[in-house]
Amino acid sequence: MAQPFVKKDDDHDDENLKGAEVTIVTDNTMILFMEYSPFMGIEKGAVLQEARVFNDAQVDPRRCSQVITKLLYLLNQGESFTKVEATEVFFSVTKLFQSKDTGLRRMVYLIIKELSPSSDEVIIVTSSLMKDMNSKIDMYRANAIRVLCRIIDGTLLTQIERYLKQAIVDKNPVVSSAALVSGLHLLRTNPEIVKRWSNEVQEGVQSRSALVQFHALALLHLIRQNDRLAVSKLVGSLTRGSVRSPLAQCLLIRYTSQVIRDMSNHGQSGERPFYEFLESCLRHKAEMVILEAARAITELDGVTSRELTPAITVLQLFLSSPKPVLRFAAVRTLNKVSVTHPMAVTNCNIDMESLISDQNRSIATLAITTLLKTGNESSVERLMKQITNFMSDIADEFKIVVVDAIRSLCVKFPLKYRSLMTFLSNILREEGGFEYKRAIVDSIVTIIRDIPDAKEGGLLHLCEFIEDCEFTYLSTQILHFLGIEGPKTSDPSKYIRYIYNRVHLENATVRAAAVSTLAKFGFMVESLKPRITVLLKRCIYDSDDEVRDRATLFLSVLGGDGTLDADKDSKEFMFGSLEAPLANMETSLKNYDPSEEAFDINSVPKEVKSQPLAEKKAQGKKPTGLGAPPAAPASGFEGYERLLSSIPEFAAFGKLFKSSSPVELTEAETEYAVNVVKHIFDNHVVFQYNCTNTIPEQLLERVNVIVDASEAEEFSEVASKALNSLPYDSPGQAFVAFEKPAGVPAVGKFSNTLTFVVKEVDPSTGEAEDDGVEDEYQLEDLEVVSSDYMVKVSVSNFRNAWESMNEGDEHVDEYGLGQRESLGEAIKAVIDLLGMQPCEGTETVPSNARSHTCLLSGVYIGNVKVLVRAQFGMDSSKEIAMKLAVRAEDASVAEAIHEIVANG
Amino acid sequence: MGLWDAFLNWLRSLFFKQEMELSLIGLQNAGKTSLVNVVATGGYSEDMIPTVGFNMRKVTKGSVTIKLWDLGGQPRFRSMWERYCRSVSAIVYVVDAADPDNLSVSKSELHDLLSKTSLNGIPLLVLGNKIDKPGALSKDDLTEEMELKSLTDREVCCFMISCKNSTNIDQVIDWLVKHSKSAS
Repeated sequence: MAQPFVKKDDDHDDENLKGAEVTIVTDNTMILFMEYSPFMGIEKGAVLQEARVFNDAQVDPRRCSQVITKLLYLLNQGESFTKVEATEVFFSVTKLFQSKDTGLRRMVYLIIKELSPSSDEVIIVTSSLMKDMNSKIDMYRANAIRVLCRIIDGTLLTQIERYLKQAIVDKNPVVSSAALVSGLHLLRTNPEIVKRWSNEVQEGVQSRSALVQFHALALLHLIRQNDRLAVSKLVGSLTRGSVRSPLAQCLLIRYTSQVIRDMSNHGQSGERPFYEFLESCLRHKAEMVILEAARAITELDGVTSRELTPAITVLQLFLSSPKPVLRFAAVRTLNKVSVTHPMAVTNCNIDMESLISDQNRSIATLAITTLLKTGNESSVERLMKQITNFMSDIADEFKIVVVDAIRSLCVKFPLKYRSLMTFLSNILREEGGFEYKRAIVDSIVTIIRDIPDAKEGGLLHLCEFIEDCEFTYLSTQILHFLGIEGPKTSDPSKYIRYIYNRVHLENATVRAAAVSTLAKFGFMVESLKPRITVLLKRCIYDSDDEVRDRATLFLSVLGGDGTLDADKDSKEFMFGSLEAPLANMETSLKNYDPSEEAFDINSVPKEVKSQPLAEKKAQGKKPTGLGAPPAAPASGFEGYERLLSSIPEFAAFGKLFKSSSPVELTEAETEYAVNVVKHIFDNHVVFQYNCTNTIPEQLLERVNVIVDASEAEEFSEVASKALNSLPYDSPGQAFVAFEKPAGVPAVGKFSNTLTFVVKEVDPSTGEAEDDGVEDEYQLEDLEVVSSDYMVKVSVSNFRNAWESMNEGDEHVDEYGLGQRESLGEAIKAVIDLLGMQPCEGTETVPSNARSHTCLLSGVYIGNVKVLVRAQFGMDSSKEIAMKLAVRAEDASVAEAIHEIVANG
Repeated sequence: MGLWDAFLNWLRSLFFKQEMELSLIGLQNAGKTSLVNVVATGGYSEDMIPTVGFNMRKVTKGSVTIKLWDLGGQPRFRSMWERYCRSVSAIVYVVDAADPDNLSVSKSELHDLLSKTSLNGIPLLVLGNKIDKPGALSKDDLTEEMELKSLTDREVCCFMISCKNSTNIDQVIDWLVKHSKSAS
């Protein structure tokens, strides 16, 4: 136990040494600076004294300019002036408006902007600036506008509005640009005024000056950003080619991709609009435009490999550019692409291999992590060796990139977990910031979850890490994880020492977490119970309340009488998750008035608040590792299971087999948003309709879904549960249940109608009227398909799993899939049809391959494990043939799979 | 010969050039900016906008260059008057003589300002403007109302003027020129 202490001492010594080095380095830079900066070592006090020259009756422009430069220098070095000092300097600077020297006036503008004293004082220069704004000297006009817009308020703005409008269309581009940039700033505070300048700004977009065009486009877009149609029109007219400035062109590309995103969200199918424009930008003169266009193409939603190819080609050219910034930008973009389309990037592998030795470490890191994602199993080890060599040279930010790459690699090639895990545990021991450490820990946790073989080793690495972990957050998270996973291992007792050490060595938060973890071990592992009880007893003398409380509580739980009922309760208490979302819990607790009546946890609403749209979009990147809760309360499988079993009508249906992901039954932005989740049971199917009322003036009551199952003959409705009330913006659920033949993958089509009673709500009071009107709302049709009866389950080693299945049960057949665009498309169609999990990254196809083997695994209804090996081949006329080999624990299931394919 | 004279004049102006700095204050709408325009160009306009902050004007009268700090008269600027009155040659305080309602405010603002030690001894010129309007006060009444007699620690002078009709503007300029000090 003394070991960690010794280690810590070592660390301190190291730090001291490093500290010494740092001081030496700064001394050197000081010397360097002295040679180059005439202002090195000037003092604030002295400069403030000098600033008195501003008050002289005769202004010396040269001297004053110098003093202002010094003041600006001080400000930029992070020196701060007290309020009194700043005010004093500001007022004496305003006296300099008497000088006609243009150089000095420019410095005056700068220092006013930089000092920006309180608003009631800075207003004193308004009149002078307004005069300069209409001066004949261009420099005065431009700079006065910029300063004025910094200090002005709404009422004054209306006074000078017409001058600003005039300035936007000024002949001089510098003036025009200044006015436009000021518009960008003012839009935040006074949007209604700036919006009136549209015509002038539009003129600016047509300007011959690159700078003006750039700023005008930015402002015009900002003015119209909330009007989707207007933005679309703007993009439509500009993409026909009147943009000269490369910067403006880059902006245009960004706006274009936004428009493409919006359009695809609205289900306009067919040829992707504006793609041709993006592609033509790849041939632009300016490199930044090319990069921007390539990036935009790679970020398109559901980009096809045909669309990607030209973008990848130009990026590949940039990889061998002599300019580091281009190499960096290209490799960074390719790195992102490799996450979603590893095959598209493989063409660049040779170029990227040469970048591993690039002098710029950031480029090298990105190159190597991209290679990790695109490479095959055999090259992993070689690449890992190269990474280890330069890990210490790169910044945390890039180390995180490496760690993320390794995590995905491990999921892809589970057989390599051993070397990857060793690497992770090595870097976990080294120095690093919180984000970096968290990324490593998250990766290890993901690997433990996905690869059962890695569990014991991984947990030990984590244990070692918390022996010397400076981050409370990580320690508590790891302790929690240990509490869940540790007891299930072959020898749980070996973790106890690490956990109990925490009780001695750490702060109160970690100690409390450790106590909980200990209790979980004691509860799960009968043989450890007496020892844990002893350890917990020691904890009740802890100095912290929370630690003592937990220890006492768990002692009494562990000391329970052991009856089945009590056991179940305490298990629920220790391992169950909170039924209500935490956010709801928080609001309920905040609203709770301390009174005689105790807080009732059942009163906490269980519905998940609908997320704002922006958040939904960002969901593409799902949290993994520690950050992700084991089961999201109301949407994860366990959440659904709990929800359904809590409804008496459905409680008798038995065990839930599968819940589909939500299927939208309404267009986005309609009055009522409804999506449906299909829950499959052995003999039943339950449709869960998640309804949201988006009209603040309405309250819906008795919301029910009428389902017409005439096109689904095997199904018969057995129960339905209406939603009593659906207020604005708080989602609710209605259910309809059907009976179906047991074990049969019955399919069918259902048409749905939402029926409800509408009541008007007074938005100011929130009270609903008493009388309601009955109404109905047509929803889109819903289908139950065969893939609904298949659960995606991945296997870590497909070959082993395949061989362990009885060869006699294998069922092979061949199919012609007809003409397809590409192999990848055919494979995706088959995967979607079967609803199975692709294994070992075999769902991606090299871009020019003519044949491919795809490995799939899943569990079929009735809990039958199924493995599929599908071989695809394409002939010259793009006819695709498939040989499908299915092995299942039950031969009849294998046949059923073939039937699905034959019918699909 | 003309050339020689011009040269001599130029030389004289170099040595005898006079310079002065004035600050022009008073309540809003008293006619400060109008006065500047009248002194500088002789022009008058009915249509003026309130001064937000200050205007800086340089006016040359004979051999005297006058720097004028024309300050805004709205309440939010009054606390800043003092900063622009330090070290000036004279303070010019403009009063709307035809607006009796605001006289007491005007008086207290003036006395508040002059009580500042930084402004000790600076000559004061009080101008009653807008005498062209009916009901404008007389000079004696204004002196009485503004309690100018109580200001004993400095030179105080009072004129009644009209910017609109340029009444008594010459007198003002004469007084100002007399108070100019030699350029250093």
